[in-house]
Amino acid sequence: MRPKKVSVLESLRLLGYIHSLFNHHFPTPNRGLHKLRTFRRFFVASLALGCAAKGQTYGSGSHTVTVQVSQVTVVQVSSGTVNLTISGASAVAGQNSMTVTDLSTSFLWGTNVSQRKVTVQTNLASPIFTLKLLAVSPTQGTAGPEVTLSTIAQDFLTNIAKSSGSTQLRYTGVALASQGTGSDAHTITYTVTVQ
Amino acid sequence: MRQRFGRKTKTTARTLSLLAVMCLVAAEQTIAQPQITVSGNITMSITTGVAGGLPTPAVNTTITLSYRRQNAISKITVGTSCPGQSFTLKVLATSVTDGTGAPEVNLVNGMPATDFITNIPVKVNPGAKTCTLQYTASATFAQGNSTEDGDDVHTVTYTILAQ
Repeated sequence: MRPKKVSVLESLRLLGYIHSLFNHHFPTPNRGLHKLRTFRRFFVASLALGCAAKGQTYGSGSHTVTVQVSQVTVVQVSSGTVNLTISGASAVAGQNSMTVTDLSTSFLWGTNVSQRKVTVQTNLASPIFTLKLLAVSPTQGTAGPEVTLSTIAQDFLTNIAKSSGSTQLRYTGVALASQGTGSDAHTITYTVTVQ
Repeated sequence: MRQRFGRKTKTTARTLSLLAVMCLVAAEQTIAQPQITVSGNITMSITTGVAGGLPTPAVNTTITLSYRRQNAISKITVGTSCPGQSFTLKVLATSVTDGTGAPEVNLVNGMPATDFITNIPVKVNPGAKTCTLQYTASATFAQGNSTEDGDDVHTVTYTILAQ
């Protein structure tokens, strides 16, 4: 941007003119008064120039700053391990089914990509017992119905869109008396994917 | 008496004229070289984030702003043009050699010029003064990404003017 300044040439002409006024010999006896008036004009002009200097722009410089945001999707489970133990305490005489529930963990996510949902699956192809999962009170999106975990990905949380949030995980282990004893070790995978 | 008054007036006027010429010459000298420069262009990338939180902000401190003292106390303002801005960009002056850095400025498209460095003293030597520009780019997950929404391209302008 060009600074707002009077050019030097113009200023010198103005000053030269003022000087010529002072150096001119006036024939009248009011020469001193005339000089005083001229000086007063010069003083007022100086004041005006001084005021103009207030807010004067000396220069400017620009550059370009580009902000890029990648497609970011991150997930986290609050704890790495959940243990569900079905013992005699959860058995009811006369009933084949025994259950145990865990609400100790949470699932957290963040995605800046539109139209996203979360699916869940286990790596255990042939479990002895049944393991179910439900999203409880998600802060964003819609919780799906309780799913029985399998190696096929199933909807766990839908309509999360571009958001970050969390949901409590409710795992339910179900064992039938007829299934006997044993243990299943699941590795459960949550995936944010296109809805 | 009249003659003495006239001589005095003439002397005063000549002194003022001389001062004015000196000021104008000095001003013309300052025009010849840039009064404020920014060292280059930058690209900032946000590539990761925290689940349940926010994308991780990107910070850049590679750019230097150089400026010169003027014949009056001066200041530097900052503004930006970024049509269709999606994300947040802030700038802070650090390591300010001359003047007082303002608090961090949030750069918003079309914003009025905002004070960035104030109270820059008058010129005593011709050397350039500097500060480091600390840019911080941030976003929320809800603000999306550049693939879908495009980059934010800011033309950030720094202006030095009389305070």
